Amino acid sequence: MKYKIGIDVGGTFTDFLLTRSDGHFSTYKVLSTPKDPSIATMQGIAEMAQDEGMPLKAFLGAVEVIVHGTTVTTNAVLTYRGAKTGLVTTDGVRDALEMRRGIREEQYNNRYTNVEPLVPRYLRLPVTGRLDYAGSERAPLEEEEVRRRAEFFKQQGVQAVAVCFMNSFANRDHEDRAARIIREVLPDAYLSVSTDVLPAIRFYDRVSTTVLNAYVGPTLKRYLESLLKKLEEAGFPNVLLIMQSNGGVISPKIAMEHAATTLLSGPAGGPVAGVVYAGIQEYRDCITMDMGGTSFDCALIKDARPFTTSVGEINRLRLALPMLNVVTIGAGGGSIGWIDEGGLLRMGPQSASSDPGPACYGLGGEEPACTDADLILGYLDPNYFAGGRMPLYPDRAKKAVEEKIAKRMGYDLYEAAAGMYKVINVNMAAAVREVAVKHGQDPRDFPLVVAGGAGPNHACMIALELENPVLIVPRESSIFCAAGMLMSDLKHNFVRTYAVLLQNADPQVFGRLFDEMKREGKQLILSEGIKESDIEYRYSLDLRYVKQYHEVEVFVTAQEVDRFDIDAMAKRFHPAHNALYGYSLEDQGTPVELINMRLVCIGATEKPRFQEQKYAGEDPSHAYKNQRKVYMPNQREFRDIPVFDGLALQFGNRIEGPAIVEQVNTTTFVAPEFNVFTDRYGSFTMYLKDREDEVQRRILS
Amino acid sequence: MTSEIDKVLVSILQRRLKSITEEMSIALTMTTRSPILCEAKDFVTGLYDAKGKMLEQTENLPILSFSLGPVCEYIVDYFGDEIYPGDVIFHNDVFSMGNQNNDVAAYKPIFFEEVLVGWAACKGHQADIGGAVQGGYNPNATEVWQEALRIPPVKVFEKGRLRKDVWDLIFANIRLDIVPEDMRAEIGSCVVGERGLLKIIERYGREAFEAHKEYLFDSTEKMMRAEIRTIPNGVYCGESTCYFDGKNPGSQYTIRVKITVEDEEITFDYSKTDAQTTGFVNGTYTSSASATTLTFLQMVNPNMPHNDGMIRPLHITIPVGTILNAAYPAATTYGNHLCPNNADVIMRALGPAIPDRVTAEWNELLCSLTTGTDPRKGTPYVDIGFMGLKGGSGAIHGVDGYDHIGMIDASGGVLDQDYEMFEQQTPHLLVKHEYWHDSAGPGRWRGGLGVETEFIIGSDKTKVVTFGDGDVEAARGAMGGMEGTLNKIELTYPDGREYLCTTKDLVENVPKGTVYFQQAGGGGGYGDPFLRPKVKVAEEVRNGIVSLEAARRDYGVAVDPETFAVIEDETQRLRSSRPIREN
Repeated sequence: MKYKIGIDVGGTFTDFLLTRSDGHFSTYKVLSTPKDPSIATMQGIAEMAQDEGMPLKAFLGAVEVIVHGTTVTTNAVLTYRGAKTGLVTTDGVRDALEMRRGIREEQYNNRYTNVEPLVPRYLRLPVTGRLDYAGSERAPLEEEEVRRRAEFFKQQGVQAVAVCFMNSFANRDHEDRAARIIREVLPDAYLSVSTDVLPAIRFYDRVSTTVLNAYVGPTLKRYLESLLKKLEEAGFPNVLLIMQSNGGVISPKIAMEHAATTLLSGPAGGPVAGVVYAGIQEYRDCITMDMGGTSFDCALIKDARPFTTSVGEINRLRLALPMLNVVTIGAGGGSIGWIDEGGLLRMGPQSASSDPGPACYGLGGEEPACTDADLILGYLDPNYFAGGRMPLYPDRAKKAVEEKIAKRMGYDLYEAAAGMYKVINVNMAAAVREVAVKHGQDPRDFPLVVAGGAGPNHACMIALELENPVLIVPRESSIFCAAGMLMSDLKHNFVRTYAVLLQNADPQVFGRLFDEMKREGKQLILSEGIKESDIEYRYSLDLRYVKQYHEVEVFVTAQEVDRFDIDAMAKRFHPAHNALYGYSLEDQGTPVELINMRLVCIGATEKPRFQEQKYAGEDPSHAYKNQRKVYMPNQREFRDIPVFDGLALQFGNRIEGPAIVEQVNTTTFVAPEFNVFTDRYGSFTMYLKDREDEVQRRILS
Repeated sequence: MTSEIDKVLVSILQRRLKSITEEMSIALTMTTRSPILCEAKDFVTGLYDAKGKMLEQTENLPILSFSLGPVCEYIVDYFGDEIYPGDVIFHNDVFSMGNQNNDVAAYKPIFFEEVLVGWAACKGHQADIGGAVQGGYNPNATEVWQEALRIPPVKVFEKGRLRKDVWDLIFANIRLDIVPEDMRAEIGSCVVGERGLLKIIERYGREAFEAHKEYLFDSTEKMMRAEIRTIPNGVYCGESTCYFDGKNPGSQYTIRVKITVEDEEITFDYSKTDAQTTGFVNGTYTSSASATTLTFLQMVNPNMPHNDGMIRPLHITIPVGTILNAAYPAATTYGNHLCPNNADVIMRALGPAIPDRVTAEWNELLCSLTTGTDPRKGTPYVDIGFMGLKGGSGAIHGVDGYDHIGMIDASGGVLDQDYEMFEQQTPHLLVKHEYWHDSAGPGRWRGGLGVETEFIIGSDKTKVVTFGDGDVEAARGAMGGMEGTLNKIELTYPDGREYLCTTKDLVENVPKGTVYFQQAGGGGGYGDPFLRPKVKVAEEVRNGIVSLEAARRDYGVAVDPETFAVIEDETQRLRSSRPIREN
């Protein structure tokens, strides 16, 4: 037997997916160990070995690959526990990092403060030397000044140094020379050079990303070295891969050099998994929604590719690496309900988190949380939360909702709980709509792929609000991101800025820049053990109409690139611009401006295979557990409805809503408007009753 | 009929309305082409009820935020029974509640089962609006026609049909082709709003919508009333001086407000404000009332829904003929920039009543625009100097001012140009854009830092236009805090000649190689700087934003220039040299 393991370290739980070469799989959840996340990781692996009845060493010997998503870098930024970092930059612009282009996100709030910069001003040091917009030298680099700066860092005990000069995207010479000097003076410091991290135009984006990379570099390096050592000592001889925010994986060695690619990688497995689960039913588009304890993540997928962004933010700091565009709002099982000064009910964004947690956890929480409402309304079974391992206390939930919500609204307990449930659903639906609209898409066209502990409980009502007829609840929905990690390919993003009118672009420069990126990518991916024939290159250009401020990323083919077919590439831009912004200037003959050239280099990994079940007929009665009273949100009444054991449901089993489907870590509420159908991998598809034929056709074919 | 109110639905209704105006805003960002709209987001989108009362808005720049509602009410009144499904109405006229000539609005009435149920509207700053000069910014103007084409409420669509003649009349008077495109984008945004509102009404029915809407207004009004109740009853007065009307050197105008707080109502009375100017430094009623509203909103719970209920307890009186509400046919293009002075009078007036909620003063706006022909490309460029104009905000009790945030009417809503894009899109070379040390008004909580900007102009025959204030009076401190610093724009020509710009200037034929230098001042401090933690002062000395001398002089803190440690005995001596100042 051979195994693959996906590991997703979350704030509360570390999730594991273990897949076997026979197509079976199992899931694990272990409490996270924030001080040293590798403890929970090793603990989960030990549990697996035990369940497989093997000594740890033998088990790890049979594990072909471990894919690991880590939050150590994200947490280092959020808690300001990264390395002591210095910045060397062009004289005159050292404050760009802290100014963040002069924005205050809350315009009416005079108590809102700027974000503490990751490098204090006295460690942001200017040097003389200047390149102009085209990369020509206006003033030579003062190398002695660089050396003095480095000496100062050494004296200050700086552990990481970022280097970012004006217009270096057009000429890396000054940065290269500065880096060499810093390396001489500080051989052990982590060095982050902007032309290595993100050689693209836009100074603030580049300096912020380069500094983030420096700030988290030493932390990630330390963590991965320790994890690799533990795995090696335990007898793991094979490949460890690290998840990135771009939805791909990389080797630990490269991750250590490009640490910033792991920032915000936590939810990136979700959209990757979404592509796979929607693909099973031959959907090319979908929306993934992951509702956990404190946050709700959603992402859009079109033509089997998640939308990406290069204007990400972490703690309000710009991270301009290309990443999957996962939008997060404060809505989860822990979201607290409250009554505002005007007497209206609100939910979140404050969360009871896991400590003390919702009132029903009985851990001292007294604020009414979303989970409390879910329990009161019957969506959760107090004796089967986390598969019965964690008792819930309905009385405490009732007390909190009664006192903090019901009494203040003059409503009864159940009306108040139903109100909390509805308000949070509308909040989540609004977030999904806004994401879709920003991408120029109509969310109604997308099936929803639902994940997270709390997601399947709320999904039907979100779907009704969005008018989406079909939802897919993967069987592994509670460890969705861990599953996505095992489905990820190796992926490296490259960018070069070539700011020129497309029609004036020099074919030699154009060709040389793509060749450079291709060479780098190939080298990296070969070093990660991928065969040359398994490498795929995706080419794209950031284009805009002349004088515009925002670019549109347009994918082009290898052939168009090789032939330098400017017209064909421009032809792809106009409709893309039209789709996003509602107009095209093709007819006016407005020139198209090239800003960035991008290459994604993908090395296909071997994916786990899931075993297909045999068709077991429509009848779900073998999975019937019992009945319980559950609140019907639109009908505004409690009804006795059947509860099914999700693990016992098989391919073809069909349930008429309303119903509850329980799994160990998730409960799915099937609203009366929906039915459910189990697919050949044991996942559940919920659909509006009038879509029966279409859904059955997809699942059975 | 409160028994029929579903309070949960009220919460949901509010969130849905917000979501619709957000979608309208996204649609407009994506479909407009002028950088002032799609980049600086100088626009607002909103939904209004059948009477024109604000249901919800998405506001990008606060100064525009409260200008759609009054015009909507005006339009309802103006057309009376002659409002039909499929109508689209344009408006910019400052003498019928418009706020600024360049801000052109589109209104679309929304009908459900043939009954008018509401309005979708948006308004954005258009790149040109006719008048004597392109872009509408004309410091020489003395009457409205020299500034803009006036558009009182006019139907460009009636019953779903384009009125081609009217459309052509309007755009025959506007220079740039992107303006009709951007106005079409505004109509598109209104359609998004119309669809969203209709969906809500279809789902719940008109009567339920109306009833819940009223409940929502009442609930928000209750929030605002509760906020006002926390201000002690009384009459509070404040004044502030605007310098230079662009025509008469040394001219001054004073804005005066009398604020009356009576339980849960607040009245802002500007009757004693000076008469209007003969130039373009004049406000319109709506721009001035917006400034009043946004300043007051910064003193209350920032999470209040923005709807009619919020503004019901606020009363604003601005007599016609004053600098804040100029009489027909005055020029008014500068009007929005009177907002900082207006904010100052309110803060000065309310300071004694609610010292913990007013800020010390913000740096006043001083902005520039450079235009010319880029010799690298042979094409014209326009650059609005966003990065240079943003000074510091005033400190507030408990919190330092915000560094480099800029004018209070935008409150941090406008982004700086990116430096490298700046060098691509203009021929200039950026020399410096840094925090200006010692610019922040010292205080227990210091003001926000200003910035210094320097670039080398890269085109010949460059035109530099300036507009703003703040070169005579710096932002004042509060409660013993000290003042910030002054604004300045200075040109050093290649021959060494220096020219200090006035605050409303038009400098032509600036040659290539001229050094442009600008200081945007810091905000005022709050509380006696001797009470600022000395370690914090030492840290700012180490960071080079407070000098050793200023630390001693203003903060009474002696700092070791090598180690940046506080020199304790010296500091104690300095700090005991005078009593603590409280105002």
